[in-house]
Amino acid sequence: MAGTGDAPKKPRQILPILEIGVLILLLIVPMLTSNFHTIIASRMLILAMLAISFDLCWGYSGIMTFGQALFFGMAGYVAALLANKLGFVQIWGIIPISMLVGLVASFLIGWFLLLGKRTPTIIFVALGTLTAAYAAERMVAGWQWVGAGNGMSVWDFLKFGSFEIEPGPLFYYIILACLVVCYIASRLVVRSQLGLVLAGMRQNEERLSFFGYRVQVFKALLFSFAGMIAGLAGGLYAFHEGFIGPGSMGIGLSTYAVLYGLFGGVGTLLGGVLGVAAIETIAFTLSDVDAFKPYWPIILGVIMLIVVAYRPTGIMGLLVSRRERIGSFGRRKRTVDQKEDAKKKEPTSGTS
Amino acid sequence: MHMRERLTRRSFLGGTSALAAAGWMAVGTGWVLRPDWAHASGPIKMGIATDITGAIAPSGNANWQAAQLAVSQINAAGGILGRPVELLLEDTASDPGTAVGNVRRLVQSAGVDVILGGITSAMREAIKNPIVRRGKTLYIYPQLYEGQECTEHLFCTGPTPAQQCARLLPYLIKEKGFKRFALPSANYIWPQLLNKWARKVIEENGAEVVMEEYFPLDQLEYSATVGKIMSEGVDHVFNTVIPPGLQAFMKQLYEAGYYEKGGQTCVYFDENSVNYVAPRELEGVYSCLDMFHTMDDAFSKQLIADYNAMFPDTKYLFSAGSAATGMYRGVKLYEQAIIATNGDLARDAASAAMDTASIAEGPGGPSKIVPGTGHAEMNMYIAQSKGGVWDIISSEMTVPPQECG
Repeated sequence: MAGTGDAPKKPRQILPILEIGVLILLLIVPMLTSNFHTIIASRMLILAMLAISFDLCWGYSGIMTFGQALFFGMAGYVAALLANKLGFVQIWGIIPISMLVGLVASFLIGWFLLLGKRTPTIIFVALGTLTAAYAAERMVAGWQWVGAGNGMSVWDFLKFGSFEIEPGPLFYYIILACLVVCYIASRLVVRSQLGLVLAGMRQNEERLSFFGYRVQVFKALLFSFAGMIAGLAGGLYAFHEGFIGPGSMGIGLSTYAVLYGLFGGVGTLLGGVLGVAAIETIAFTLSDVDAFKPYWPIILGVIMLIVVAYRPTGIMGLLVSRRERIGSFGRRKRTVDQKEDAKKKEPTSGTS
Repeated sequence: MHMRERLTRRSFLGGTSALAAAGWMAVGTGWVLRPDWAHASGPIKMGIATDITGAIAPSGNANWQAAQLAVSQINAAGGILGRPVELLLEDTASDPGTAVGNVRRLVQSAGVDVILGGITSAMREAIKNPIVRRGKTLYIYPQLYEGQECTEHLFCTGPTPAQQCARLLPYLIKEKGFKRFALPSANYIWPQLLNKWARKVIEENGAEVVMEEYFPLDQLEYSATVGKIMSEGVDHVFNTVIPPGLQAFMKQLYEAGYYEKGGQTCVYFDENSVNYVAPRELEGVYSCLDMFHTMDDAFSKQLIADYNAMFPDTKYLFSAGSAATGMYRGVKLYEQAIIATNGDLARDAASAAMDTASIAEGPGGPSKIVPGTGHAEMNMYIAQSKGGVWDIISSEMTVPPQECG
């Protein structure tokens, strides 16, 4: 977690308090609300994984990805196909397979986009991922075997043995457990020495490559890891919603992943979770008010413009100091150096 | 299209506020229309999930208004066994992804006893799961469709391919002499299965299918297809393109001069189609549906008059291809089912009673569910659009659905 504890003078730490606060809140949601609201919250947690996946790419390794929904959707389709064509709905199989699909797909795309001869620019990667997501959406929309424009209804519930896991509190806790595991794993990765390299890359990629780091390989690694998390979210989504369609694979959802991240605050991990909670709660509330419904996309767009223009650090920027957002990395021998490093490498996340 | 949606939305709201003055209330989540009287065991909650916004909005709004008409008639006559019916609306927004979440509100949050709605098959595929399986609720699907929907607790009250095409296509070939058919289609399940049916009937009657092509639903560029239709000597276009692609396809087909060369069929076209395409593009198009406004049936005429009186300024007409007739029929069949169960609203009991439900009078004529099939038999009419009205060519009584049997 944030801070290694051996720094001589420690500033007040808000991030761990926030993290634990959010976790406790999420743990008691099903006890406080109806089944219906628990299901809505479950969906948000799934999207939170997608947001974390985006944050890993943009907030930690400078990959502007407009294609996270591609891995999400691809895993969702695979899960739906397993259920519909083979009748396989066991949770112990669906979860690892979804992760594997996300991992392999993102590795292949990362390989193609990042590991070429020339160093790719941010724009190249952004357009590359965008194109991939768009192409995939159009492809499944025209492919009859996977339901074409209809998408696929996942008729069966997720099962453990013969026990059916219906959307509700139990499914919620399973999703929450997945989210927590993804979160902790991501936190460990970005605060490790690998994370330090990533932070350095984000600041000055050239300098890091002069040091001898193969920066594109690091990027590809993190991109694949992020794709794995998006895949897990997609597999769970297909079973939770009981439906997966071309829209879950394309640039629409990918853009939402970007919005969640930017709104919550990139380079914080927790920001994505808060971004999903904020945007989805507003959307859910507003869609009850009929007068607002048609204007919701416009309202969302304006909020996003304001956030990007005036608050590039998102919600997290309001809550947590800059020093703490960057945190410290792994274990090192001399803390003095580390402090200096951290000072030098303070990124301006989200503005670059 | 977008401009049109804005305006139609406003007129929809206007129409609904007129209802509020007439004793209905619109509150809270989505729209709720509460009757102005109560019963000890509470109202029967009927959920409507249809496309109020988006590409299919003209049909969705007609559906919602048809449901209001049917329910207001039931309530005016004392409800079902003394219990009033409360209507709850959720917008499926012509987008299956959005719809899944919104339908869930009806099932889990509002706890409705039955849901009617969905227009495209893509929508039915998406929402039948949250309704029937995850929601354990009875579902009535009102639109004409491709058949083969045999899900338990799901009832289809619109026409099937057998009802629409079994007579229409032989008529076009034998009586009108069309020989070379083109099947341009939107790429989803309805056109795919309907075309399979159509191809079989076309070939059995000695005509041929020259081309069968599928396009993404939102494709707007059809010059290659239209060019092929013009050059391959096609004399009849069996059109299953749907909005939003429909408008572009019809326009380009018209502008290429096809209308002087051959005929066209679009089996969901009805009085509401002027909301989608220009009148000149409708001219001469054939359709086969369970009701047309030009038909000579006292009950149907009264129904259309009542509808127009209830929604005086609406541009969404009570028409068959927009599933308004299926919606009305579905509400009335459900009423009969609940009378048969003696007021038991439980899903399994209501579903069992729906299986044998029938109505002596309905839009286009009487109707009944063919037991064990989940589909309804109804009267069917072949018509051609001439100068803005649908000229009925022939009619057939109590046509069986030929599904799931």
